[in-house]
Amino acid sequence: MDKRRVILISVLGFLLVVLAFLFFFKNSGRERIKEAEEIPQPAVSTQAPIEKSMRKVTLFFLREEDSKLIPEERDIVSNPSTAREAEEVIVELIKGSQMGLVSSLPAETKLIQLFITKEGVAYVDFSKDLVDKHPSGSTAEISTVYSIVNSLAYNFKPIKKVFILIEGEERETLGGHISLDHPFLPDYSLIFQE
Amino acid sequence: MGGPGLILLALVLALFPAGLSGSKELKTIVIDPGHGGMDLGAKGKFGTLEKNITLAVSFKLKALLEQNLPYRVVLTRDKDIDVSLENRSALANNNDAVLFISVHINGSQRKKAQGSETFFMNLNASDEETRKLAYLENTSAELEKQIEDKNKDEVKMILWDMAQSAYIKQSSQLAEEIQKELNIFLGTENRGIKQAPFKVLKGVACPAILVEVAFISNPEEEQKLIKEDFQKKVAEAIYQGLKKYTKLFS
Repeated sequence: MDKRRVILISVLGFLLVVLAFLFFFKNSGRERIKEAEEIPQPAVSTQAPIEKSMRKVTLFFLREEDSKLIPEERDIVSNPSTAREAEEVIVELIKGSQMGLVSSLPAETKLIQLFITKEGVAYVDFSKDLVDKHPSGSTAEISTVYSIVNSLAYNFKPIKKVFILIEGEERETLGGHISLDHPFLPDYSLIFQE
Repeated sequence: MGGPGLILLALVLALFPAGLSGSKELKTIVIDPGHGGMDLGAKGKFGTLEKNITLAVSFKLKALLEQNLPYRVVLTRDKDIDVSLENRSALANNNDAVLFISVHINGSQRKKAQGSETFFMNLNASDEETRKLAYLENTSAELEKQIEDKNKDEVKMILWDMAQSAYIKQSSQLAEEIQKELNIFLGTENRGIKQAPFKVLKGVACPAILVEVAFISNPEEEQKLIKEDFQKKVAEAIYQGLKKYTKLFS
């Protein structure tokens, strides 16, 4: 009787392990995003320094004269979390230029969230305004994508690639041209060189 | 024709770039008028819609090609309807197309942006992806027998997703020939040939390019784009470039 119970329990236990194993593997490959979300990011409130130190960042905008990306410096509040600083860069990018340069993101766009995976991919989630208010056209899409990607990769070493999301989901394109199904490497050849 | 068949076709076409030589049937060129239906594309200050200009130019190009070259020409749409980007490239592959020309009108945040340019596919691949791709390209002939059955489908998916990667060089040549003619015929600013990861080109298993005729966001160019005469010149330029490209391989 006891022996049977032991066998029964061990069989059940084994099944449980197998099920857990299957469950784990089924979910592990499904969404990289899920995994990334679990990386702890220090909360702003607990990490906020008493004395706010600033750091210089470079944002990329457009100008009327040519198709190049034009750098513009900006001071942001420094934060031990790269993700928080990167968020600040995107927010400033959406606010637009202070030097009269042309913005490549619609002013209505909102940043929903930004997180960085341990592989160095920054996932940047925008409101649907980035699509709905976008002017369309290949050149417009390339400008938008690379002002985002370059502005992040240029300022933050841990960011190797950038994945653009819309309302938490992968989007085919912004307006029918550039595929957003993959993370982008920066392209510094698009930046104006004197 | 299923997925594996299309992959085989991609491999065959990779080995015989000018198409399946010896075939008596007419080879197919697919012309893709950008946008359509609910997808208006870019809009001009005077209300011109990209989707209408791309269709008008595509009709003219189709007529020119059919009159002058021994090809069958298929349009991805011949009216104002929505066609998904995936279906556009699938149509090319299902018709065993030997060339794919996507016609677009450009737009920019910059009002002064102007000129014509021709794009071909850029994979924007990381080192790891490039390695994977190089592996596939180098071993494609032996792919079938070498890969274990359980991995086969996955590898095929990767290959299929990047069908255009086998044609990058020819696509760049096609882009070059067409861009030269756009410069001759249109008198617009030459923005050159460029690479970008276009969704519509990615899965196309033949040389493929995307023409950005001019900027609808630039009021001066918008005025040109609505003119019948200008549209004819665009079609003529693409036709001439395409003709010169096909001569490279005959």
